[in-house]
Amino acid sequence: MSVIRADLNKCIGCQRCFKICPMDVFRFDYVRQKSVIAYPESCQSCGQCYLNCPAHSLGFTDGSYQQSVGTGR
Amino acid sequence: MKETNKAPRIMELPRPEKVTCPYEESYQADVVVIGCGFAGLNAAVSAKEAGQNVLVIDKGKPGYSGLSPWPSSFRWFDPERGDDEEAFKEAMKRGGDYLCNLRWYECWLKESKGIYERLTDWGILAQYPKAAEAGDFYEREDFVGYREMFDKFDRHKKWIEVLKRYEIPHLEHTMVTDLIAGAAESDATEPSKICGVIGFHVPSGQVITVSAKAVVMATGGGSYKPTGYPVGGDTFDGEYMAWELGLPITGKEFEDFHTTSNQAPGNVFLDNHWQYLENIWLCGGDVDLESASGYAAAKGYAMVMKRVQNSVNGVPLANGSEIQNVATANYTRRGGSKVYDTDPEEVRSGKMSTPVAASTLAGAATGMCCHLTSGVFCGLGETDGKTEIAGLYVAGDGIHATSPSGSAYPCGVGFTSCFTSIDGDHAGRAAASYAAGQSFEALPEEEVLQKKEEILAPLNHENGFDPNWARDVLHSIMAPYWITVVKSEETLQAALVQVEYMRDHVIPKLQAATSHDLRLCLEMKHKVLSAELKLRAGLERKESRGSTYREDYPFRDDENYLCYITQRKAADGESTFNRVPVPDAWAGDREEAYQSRYVFYFPGEPEKMGFRLPERGRKGKGERK
Repeated sequence: MSVIRADLNKCIGCQRCFKICPMDVFRFDYVRQKSVIAYPESCQSCGQCYLNCPAHSLGFTDGSYQQSVGTGR
Repeated sequence: MKETNKAPRIMELPRPEKVTCPYEESYQADVVVIGCGFAGLNAAVSAKEAGQNVLVIDKGKPGYSGLSPWPSSFRWFDPERGDDEEAFKEAMKRGGDYLCNLRWYECWLKESKGIYERLTDWGILAQYPKAAEAGDFYEREDFVGYREMFDKFDRHKKWIEVLKRYEIPHLEHTMVTDLIAGAAESDATEPSKICGVIGFHVPSGQVITVSAKAVVMATGGGSYKPTGYPVGGDTFDGEYMAWELGLPITGKEFEDFHTTSNQAPGNVFLDNHWQYLENIWLCGGDVDLESASGYAAAKGYAMVMKRVQNSVNGVPLANGSEIQNVATANYTRRGGSKVYDTDPEEVRSGKMSTPVAASTLAGAATGMCCHLTSGVFCGLGETDGKTEIAGLYVAGDGIHATSPSGSAYPCGVGFTSCFTSIDGDHAGRAAASYAAGQSFEALPEEEVLQKKEEILAPLNHENGFDPNWARDVLHSIMAPYWITVVKSEETLQAALVQVEYMRDHVIPKLQAATSHDLRLCLEMKHKVLSAELKLRAGLERKESRGSTYREDYPFRDDENYLCYITQRKAADGESTFNRVPVPDAWAGDREEAYQSRYVFYFPGEPEKMGFRLPERGRKGKGERK
């Protein structure tokens, strides 16, 4: 996985990450008005949620998205 | 664990159990477009402009899903700037090892400038300062700050704006799983006419049906696991649906060329950030007659042979200094016009993006095929994606085998985003024209019920397997270089045994706890079929050509394999193959000496064919810069 939560308190409930993630990683808690990183194992590390989070609530790990297997690395 | 944990900075809230579906359970539209990348968006707009009601269905959100959010470049052909049609054809024919579909390539030569103007009008090709020149974003690695500064130019948002502008409704996060086709004649037994689609809204799991007169599948290709290339949302869904309807599939043996970095081979963002944040770079004008063959040779070497060499030999350990600054490369690498420096009206600079980690390793998108070569085969004479099923059209990379770039990809950067737009435009217009003469047919209730049960089945398996585990197993079977980069009868057969085992024993037992898992289970079914088709195609082509290299047949065999190999589902579920010869006009000079006819050579090829390599182990005619 690559997406992480930088600060949940900063989440303003705009749902942008929930709506734009192509891998269906996010869900939205309508009661608390916060997004939820629900399925991190599906993250493809494209970074769209992180780049488009207007409140800087999301972060991004430096680590590799597991081994690549096909690359010899 | 209590939700009032005192470390809220890192704690996620529990996953909400229920999601309400924002959509109805059934819809009706003259033309349904599945997938909304470059092909789907153009298909939808063109069908709407032709007067039909259009409904777009996307597995994610248009502009952010599939592969279309990620082009770094866009190229078009511009005779007014001196582009030479014959030169471009020569480079494509030779570089594509004579599997270039010239009929489709000529469509690009004629229409690419018009598509450039269309996408410019839509704001998708807006130009703005790059990170390295817009401040200190590059030095500070401030990706978010750069995005915020140029947010109004952000191309991803333009997709939804275009759909709104043309008043085209769309369903987001909805996965189409099956096409519903009926018999065209009352006494026919085989499905031959489209009447709708079925799928489900992924977050909620609600099944949705759509009655349609015509359907355009613009579903993209796929990969088994996206380790370095952001194609994870594409999972061969369209290919599976086409296969199930008995349509011919071709091009599966030709492999994707995209590479990833030595520094972080599995991390898409770290390997690509700036080029995905910056504008789409404008390309073209980089081939002339004198350099056409050398251009093809350079592309073949860079995209095929370098991949083979690095895979077999490995690469040096990364030390963090491997940075690629394509903006300083020559015009062939950048894809920029030869006259960019001297013609002030020439805007095709080529790819000038801010430096990113150097990309040297194959395997960024295992399972993906070479751009534009794979998918449904619609015949050699078509230019509209019309399939054998009346009312069903295909468009775009990975689902419509248009093959304008043959068995490799010698066309320079930025070709696919432009070409798939043309492909989509054609399919949208053709689908609209067909739909105009049709009436809606009721979806067969029994079939709909059966499909619905199939979609939801993984939710009901008491014992079984996790789809993420299955994904990693399939990836491990297919990703090693001896399966995709350097192939042989033994390695492909060994992998096929494994994949068939997964097909028969794993896929039927995949379990879903949620509707998200349901998506993963269905995607795995599609991926395993795709792997099987890829291996069978690789075994069937007992030669090396373009992006497929058989170690045990390290040479081009024009007599037997200068053809498109198609496979379709037989009655027993296995593949039946057919070979469609390349027309003479596309085949180059068959009498030309072998060593001169082909512009790069595979390991073992000179020995097998009895010629000696020139210095540096490769050769190209004309100037190579």
